[in-house]
Amino acid sequence: MLLSVQGLRKSFNGRNVLEGVDFSVAAGELVAFLGANGSGKSTTLRCVMGITSPDSGSIRIDGAALDSLQGRELQQTRQRMAMIFQKIHLVPRRTALDNVCAGALSRIPTVRSLTPLLFPADVQQEALDCLDRVGLADRAFDRVGRLSGGQQQRVAVARALCQRADVVLADEPVSALDPHAAEQVMALLRELAHSEGLAVAAVLHQPDLALRYADRSIGLLQGSMTFDLPSTEITAEHLDTLYAPDRNPSVDRTQAA
Amino acid sequence: MTPHTLTPAVVRRGSSAQTRVALIRPKKPLRWITTAAVAAAVVGLHAVAIEGTDFKPELLVDGWKGMAAFIGDAFPPDLSWEKTLKPGLEATLVTLWIGLLGTTLSVPFALLLAALAAENTSPHRLVYQAARAVLSFFRAVPDIVFALIFVTAVGLGPFAGVLALICHNTGVMGKLWAESMEEIDAGPQEALRTAGANRIQQVANATLPMVVPQFVGLLLYRFDVNVRSSLVLGLVGAGGIGLLINQSIKSFQFDSMLTHILIVLVLIIVVDQFSAWIRRRLAA
Ligand SMILES: Nc1ncnc2c1ncn2[C@@H]1O[C@H](COP(=O)(O)OP(=O)(O)O)[C@@H](O)[C@H]1O
Ligand SMILES: [Mg+2]
Repeated sequence: MLLSVQGLRKSFNGRNVLEGVDFSVAAGELVAFLGANGSGKSTTLRCVMGITSPDSGSIRIDGAALDSLQGRELQQTRQRMAMIFQKIHLVPRRTALDNVCAGALSRIPTVRSLTPLLFPADVQQEALDCLDRVGLADRAFDRVGRLSGGQQQRVAVARALCQRADVVLADEPVSALDPHAAEQVMALLRELAHSEGLAVAAVLHQPDLALRYADRSIGLLQGSMTFDLPSTEITAEHLDTLYAPDRNPSVDRTQAA
Repeated sequence: MTPHTLTPAVVRRGSSAQTRVALIRPKKPLRWITTAAVAAAVVGLHAVAIEGTDFKPELLVDGWKGMAAFIGDAFPPDLSWEKTLKPGLEATLVTLWIGLLGTTLSVPFALLLAALAAENTSPHRLVYQAARAVLSFFRAVPDIVFALIFVTAVGLGPFAGVLALICHNTGVMGKLWAESMEEIDAGPQEALRTAGANRIQQVANATLPMVVPQFVGLLLYRFDVNVRSSLVLGLVGAGGIGLLINQSIKSFQFDSMLTHILIVLVLIIVVDQFSAWIRRRLAA
């Protein structure tokens, strides 16, 4: 497994938000995370990325446990993971190409990264190739602010590619997009997993997207996993437990009492 | 467990079929006492301030004749080219150049200090505190005080004015820029951090490009203010049209003074319109 996570726990102010999350994502696989608001999907991804530090749990990339690594080695291993955000987080005033180059900053000396004019030519060429892979090579010199939401999210994916990440974590990558753009971005993520061998984990708000695009879907309910199944085996009951806990039989019993 | 908890102020009246929510504002008995105390304090402060500033409107009434004579002397403005207009226009240009250089030459200092004094870009808490302190100092010392200091150092003339504006403007613009960096969306910077970019790379490739419009807007605003400040600096000997206005008052040439003031008025309107025009284009 390219990414494997075990026993991930996290609490904020004494409230348990993650109560032991275990999952793994293989190279070439697209895995969807489903769950109601506040169930801990974002926290899971942020803990894996190291944006939030988990209370406990182990994270392995290609078998190497992150907490056994240090310094340069840890940094290099972490950089095999890239994050895609719902709010995209590109710089709107810069061109698509310059934004994609920023994914390679860790490979550029600091003095050459002060302005895009100094970015090395090979990095710029690689960035253009990444834009080509997401189908946007012809928009390389357009300002990102001029692109549509779907195009912007594809530029963000290209930035992750330019980082040379082989694990891509996407937190609601299509929630802010119109349906057509959402399909395009999902198709791109699946394509990157299936054809280029990336391990992709995406939090999705629409279960139907998960069922159609993801190889596997994981359900989170109040910080615990309720299922981890091939998307073809997900039923309406599975989804009901996630989004309508009030109708969950176990909850009904406590209310009747 | 009750499914719905009513707040004390909301009471339902009438039968179950047609109920209405009664409007009963929650009483806050201490509210008017605080209001009265604040009002009394404000009135008291003003009484002390009027006493402390020898504020006597009757003096203005008595003195209107002197003012009228003064204004009478100023009209008509002296429009002789050699004696007033030419030196006035030349000095006005100097005032403009003082304002321009005072603004642009403070940019590198303000930029560096702003980056060190903004929470999201500063490398360390101590650096942040130190940069804030430096900015506060340059902001707290008025440009006219800097002008007086530099006049003793480099002599009378516009150069002292430029140096004074650089110092004060670094403090003000650095603070304004630091604040606009703190207000900017942190997302792009976080995205680059997760991609492994170091702090300088994050600032140069996310934070700074995000704040360019705000920075330029504030820069133009400061240019506007600095041109006006450089007028006042002229009054203490730091060159420009302010110096001429001062001289014409001292030699009782009020008609020349009026001409200079009219030129200044035109300059200020032009600069104001110019920066408003650029800011509009930037916003579009
Ligand atoms: N930095 C934080 N501080 C305190 N509470 C947090 C923080 N981040 C997330 N939470 C809480 O953790 C819970 C899970 O949040 P999140 O992972 O964002 O849920 P999801 O992405 O599934 O909607 C929520 O109740 C949220 O309020
Ligand atoms: Mg979330």
